[in-house]
Amino acid sequence: MNELGRRALGPLSLILLVSTFWLGYFVTPPDQVQGDLARLLYIHPAVAWVALYVSFGTAAIASAMYLWPRTRSESLDRIAHSAMEVSVFFIAITLITGSIWGRPTWGVWWAWDARLTSSAIFGVFGLGYLALRRANEDREIRARRSAVFCILTAINVPIIHFSVIWWKTLHQGASVFTSNRTLKVHGSMAFTLLLSFVAFTLTFFWFLRTRYRIEVAKDRQGHQKLVASIEQRRNEVPAT
Amino acid sequence: MASSAPDQLTPVAPPVLKSRARRRNLIVLLALGLSVVALLSQGLLSSLNYFKTVDEALAQRHNIGTKIIRLEGLVKPHSITRTSTGASFFLTGSNGKVFVVSHGTPPQLFRGNIPVVVVGRFLTSTSASFDGTQIMVKHSSTYIAKHPKRVKAPNGTVR
Repeated sequence: MNELGRRALGPLSLILLVSTFWLGYFVTPPDQVQGDLARLLYIHPAVAWVALYVSFGTAAIASAMYLWPRTRSESLDRIAHSAMEVSVFFIAITLITGSIWGRPTWGVWWAWDARLTSSAIFGVFGLGYLALRRANEDREIRARRSAVFCILTAINVPIIHFSVIWWKTLHQGASVFTSNRTLKVHGSMAFTLLLSFVAFTLTFFWFLRTRYRIEVAKDRQGHQKLVASIEQRRNEVPAT
Repeated sequence: MASSAPDQLTPVAPPVLKSRARRRNLIVLLALGLSVVALLSQGLLSSLNYFKTVDEALAQRHNIGTKIIRLEGLVKPHSITRTSTGASFFLTGSNGKVFVVSHGTPPQLFRGNIPVVVVGRFLTSTSASFDGTQIMVKHSSTYIAKHPKRVKAPNGTVR
């Protein structure tokens, strides 16, 4: 991506997000059964898509590449860390919007069904990953352990995805990624849903890039501090 | 400046830090393990299948007895009667139906011809009457636009 593209990422994400909200709240019709409650359709599935597949997928691929000796690099560790942070943010939004949606439609804020419980476990694993990173000060050990942990967390993703098929859940089945590849959302609602997926995916890349740059700046600052400390110690040595 | 200065700057290996890092790792993994076990025991292990369908419940009625279960079925159209404490209605499956008397306010989307999950118990192990304490609406994954300006013709068609 060239510099112009990188700079345009933020504004473009915002424009698409605003367009999604405008279409979702003012243009699309209400749903036959859920009425206006269905407007959360333009946030919740797209946010979950980013948390589970785009963001966590990036973290898992970067972690696997870090563990592979031929591709190991500090950049991959940074990408995994940054993507995982964004994934935790988005899974939190997923759980919150799902709960807000559940109260008026199901009648409860939360249900311990397979989809919701496995999603909550995913969130706990995400927080565990971030805690594990803070627990280790040695860069290499931290990167290796985090990468292994991230790969282990990946086991939960197919469980979340197929939970509504494998078990009986209160959570509805798939509307978009259906087994027979038919979209169960009609007309302008489908277009707005698709737009929300694009908007939130772009937002992920914007967040990822920003978080990655912060990580690089922190490392650079840490290195500069180290150099300054060594210099200071050198100057402290009494002249003989 | 002394030329031997860099030699005196050899960093000291921090064994204390290593054991602290190990302790932190253990705390993180322990906290994580406990959280997952708590979530699993609360959720997945006790309810991989969140509910029993009307047909399943009727078939297993003797084993279920008067235990609290979650019962899923379709609300029979025109069977809903609002009561002073909630609502009563028939819940249908493919092969049978259960009469539900539910206490508490039903959810916003509760209506006829919609799948619901009712928490409650059969009155007896042979009864087809169910005493419900909570209704949860299990809406479908299909979204179709509502057209409020369309009118229903006398023959039932929508124009």
